[in-house]
Amino acid sequence: MNTRSETGMETPTIAQPGALRLGYAVAGIALVVLLMAWPAIAGKFATSLMTQILIFGLLSLSADLLLGHAGLFSLCHAAFFSVAAYTTAILQVRYSVATEAAACLGILAGTGLGLIFGLAVRTRGVYFILVTLALGYIVWGVGYRWSSFTGGDSGVTNVPSPTLFGFPLEDPTTYYYFVLCVVAAVAYGYGRVVRSPFGLTLRGIKYAERRMHSLGFHPVKHLYCAFVLSAFLASVAGVLYVYFNKFVNPVSASLHNNVEAILMAILGGSGSILGPFVGAAFVLGLRNWVSSFFELYLTVMGIVFIAVVIWAPGGVSGLVQRLINRLRS
Amino acid sequence: MSETVLSLRGVHKSFGGIHAVDNVSFDVKAGERRVVIGPNGAGKTSLFHCISGTHTPTTGSIVFCGEPITHMPEHKRTLLGIGRTFQISSVCLELSALENVLLAVLGVRAQKWDFWNSFHADQGLQRQAEEKLVMVGLSTKLNRQVSDLSYGERRQLELALALSNDPQLLLLDEPCAGLSPAERQRFFSLVKNVPRSVTLLMIEHDMDVALGLADRVTVLHRGQVILDGTADEVRVNEKVREVYFGRV
Amino acid sequence: MDSFILQTLNGISYSALLFLLASGFTLTFGLMRVVNMAHGAYYLVGGYIGLMIAKLTGSLVAALIAGGCAGMLIGFLSDQMLIRRAGSDHLAQVLITVGIAYIIGDLSLKTWGGDAQKLPLPMDLRGVIEFPGGIVYPIFRILLTTIGVAVAGLLWLLYKRTFVGAAIRAGVDNREMVSATGINIDRLFILVSALAAFLAGFSGVLGGAFLTVYPGAEWEILVFALVVVIVGGLGSLEGAMVGALVVGLLDAYGRWLVPELSYFVLFGPMAILLLFRPRGLFGSENMT
Repeated sequence: MNTRSETGMETPTIAQPGALRLGYAVAGIALVVLLMAWPAIAGKFATSLMTQILIFGLLSLSADLLLGHAGLFSLCHAAFFSVAAYTTAILQVRYSVATEAAACLGILAGTGLGLIFGLAVRTRGVYFILVTLALGYIVWGVGYRWSSFTGGDSGVTNVPSPTLFGFPLEDPTTYYYFVLCVVAAVAYGYGRVVRSPFGLTLRGIKYAERRMHSLGFHPVKHLYCAFVLSAFLASVAGVLYVYFNKFVNPVSASLHNNVEAILMAILGGSGSILGPFVGAAFVLGLRNWVSSFFELYLTVMGIVFIAVVIWAPGGVSGLVQRLINRLRS
Repeated sequence: MSETVLSLRGVHKSFGGIHAVDNVSFDVKAGERRVVIGPNGAGKTSLFHCISGTHTPTTGSIVFCGEPITHMPEHKRTLLGIGRTFQISSVCLELSALENVLLAVLGVRAQKWDFWNSFHADQGLQRQAEEKLVMVGLSTKLNRQVSDLSYGERRQLELALALSNDPQLLLLDEPCAGLSPAERQRFFSLVKNVPRSVTLLMIEHDMDVALGLADRVTVLHRGQVILDGTADEVRVNEKVREVYFGRV
Repeated sequence: MDSFILQTLNGISYSALLFLLASGFTLTFGLMRVVNMAHGAYYLVGGYIGLMIAKLTGSLVAALIAGGCAGMLIGFLSDQMLIRRAGSDHLAQVLITVGIAYIIGDLSLKTWGGDAQKLPLPMDLRGVIEFPGGIVYPIFRILLTTIGVAVAGLLWLLYKRTFVGAAIRAGVDNREMVSATGINIDRLFILVSALAAFLAGFSGVLGGAFLTVYPGAEWEILVFALVVVIVGGLGSLEGAMVGALVVGLLDAYGRWLVPELSYFVLFGPMAILLLFRPRGLFGSENMT
C-alpha cells in the first residue's frame, strides 16, 4: 500500500495484512543470518563496505524520520553527523578523552545542535528546505574556515581505535559487529517510535497539518521533537563513522552528503525502516563498483538521481511493485 | 434553566476593507440545535472560523461555557470541548478511517506523546474510535484507506472526527455539501441522532432541512445578523425572503 | 580606513556578480515555483566556455556573450528534457537538479581539468586606477563591476518598464490569473528560465575574471546566491538586489575582520532572519 504525491513519490504505509507477515518474518530471519555471517562469507573489503552501509543507512534513516513520517524535506542532517564526528575526534585526538566519554559527548553535541537548528520547524515547504540547506552550510563552512579549531580542509586525523570499557574494537570485523549491534538497537527503537501515537501524529501532520490543529494538536511541538530525534540518530551515525574512518573533514557536512542520504531513503523506500539501508547498500555498492573502472563516478550518481525521480519515485519497492503488477496482467 | 454554552458579543472580522463578519451577537443554549443560514458570502464560514479558532476576530468577544476563547489558539479550543467539521474535507487520505479517528481521539490526550507503545495497543482508545465510526455508519470501512472511500463516506468520517471526544459544542459547516438527496437524508438522520448532551451549531444551505432540524435559526446577510428566532418566525419573515429571493 | 574602502569596493563588486546569479534563481522560483540547484552549474559552464573564447579571441565581450549563451543552452536543454518532469514537487526538483549539477560538474572536471583558471585580461585593462586618498584598485575589477551593475540595471528596466516584465511580476504574484488574461504562460516560463540561465552563464564569465573558475565553484557560488535569495525574499527582484548587497558586503567584511568565522558572520544573521521572517525582506507570504 503506497501513498502518492503529485509526481508519484510514494511512501509505503505501515499497516501490513496478515498473510504478508509470514513472508516478512522469513525474510527478516534470513537477513539477520546474512548480516551475522557476513564477515565470514564476504571477506574483509565487503565487511568494510557493509559497515559503511550500516552507518550511512543510519544517517539516511535520520533524514527519513523527517521526510517519510513528518513530511519535512530537511537538508541538514549531515551537519549533526559531522558535528558529532568532529567532537568525538577532537576529544580523543587532542584531549585524550576516553572512548566512552568522547562518544557520548559527540552524540550530545550533535543532538544539542539539533535543539538549536530545530527552530527551523517554524517554517514549511520551500522555506524549510532552504533554511535547513543554509544551516547545513553553516556547519560545512565553519568546518572549512575555522581551521585553527577544526583543521580546515584536512580536518581531524589519526583518530585512535575505540576501546569500549576496556574492550578494544580495533579489529575491523569486531567493529563491524559493534556497529551492527548499535544500528540494530537504534533501528528497533526507531521502529517503536514510528508505530507509536507520536509516529502516527507525525504522519497526521504530514498529510493534513491544518486539520491537526482542529483535532487538538500543536504541530510545531511534535515536529520539533522529531527534528531533535533525527539529530540524535544522525549524531550516533557520526560517532560510528569517525571511529570507522579514523578521520573527519568538512566533506562530512557537505550538501552532497545531505542529498545522498535523502536519495538513499527514497531509493530504498521512504517511510520504512529497512528502506534507507537498502538505499545505502545500492548507492554505496554502486559507487564502489563504478569507481573501480570509471572515473566519472559523479556523472553516474547524477544519472541515478535523475533516473530515480523520473522512473522510480517510489524507490526500489515501488519498482518491484510495478513489476509484479505488470507480471500479473 | 438552560445554561449558555456559546456567547458572541459584537464579533467583527474584516479582511482589508471587507467585513466578513459584522457585529454579530447571539447566545446558544445547552442542547440547542441552532442553524445559521444566509446567502453565499453572508459570512457564515468566517463566523465559524472565529468560533473554532481558525481565525481571530478583529473585535468582539466569544465566550464558551463561561470561558473567554476569543484569542485562544485552535487546538486549545478543541481541548475545551469544541468539535468541528469543515466544508472542504481535510482528512488524511493516506491513512485508514480508523487511523484518522484514532488521531482525533489522541488529539486531546497526553497519550499522543507516547513514543514507545504501538498506537493500536490501547484497547480503550481503539474501542472509542471504532464506536464513533459505527455511529456514523462506517462500521465496514474501518481499515479502508480514506482515498478509497466515496465522497459521502468521507463526509461521514468528518462527522466521526468531530464527535470523537464527545464535544460539548459541535460546529457543522455545511455537512451535506455535495451529497446526493438520498445521502443527505441519511446524513440528517445521523445528525438528528446526536445526543442532546452535544450542542449543535450548523451552517446549512437547504432551507427546508435547516428549518426542519432547528430549534432556533440565525440568519446572516453581508456579515450581519438580520434575524434570530424560531424556525416559524424565520419562515414568515419578510426581510429573510427579500435577502434570499430578492424584492418582489 | 583605506582597508575599509577597499573591502567595501570588493564587496560591491561581488554583490554585482551575486545579483546577476541570484536574480535568475529568484525569478525562476517566483514564477515557476522551481528550486533549481543546477543554477551554479550553468555559472560554471558559462565560465569555462567564456574562458575558452577569451583565450581564442582575446575579446572580453565575446567571452561574456559566449558564456551567457552556453549557460542558456544548457539551461534550456536541462529544463525542457528533465526539470519539467519534476513538476511542482520540490523534492523531485532538488534531486533532479542536483543530479544535473553533478553531471555538468563532473564532465567539466574531465574536460577542463582540476586547476583554477583565470580569464586572461586584455592588455589595456591590466593595471590599476589610483583614487584620491591613495587607494589603488584594479581597473578590471571596476570595469567588471560596471558591467555587472549595467546588466543589473537593464534587467531592472525590463522587469519594471516593459510588458514582459509586467507579465513576469504578475505571474510571480498569481500564475492562474496571468494564464486567464490570455498571456501565453508557457512562453513566459521559457523566456524567464532562458534569461535566468543566460545570466548565470554570463556571471560565470565575470566570476572567472574576478575569482577564477574551478571545480566546485558551482556549489560555492550557489550557496551565496541562495543566501541572497533567502534574505531578499523568493520571487523578488528588489530583494535580490538588497540581498546581494548585504551578502557581498558581509562576506568582504567578514573575510577581512574574522576570516575564520566569516561563514558564520554571513549565515548567522541569515538564519536568525529566517526564523523570524521566513519570507525574507521582500518576499510575499504565498510562496509555499
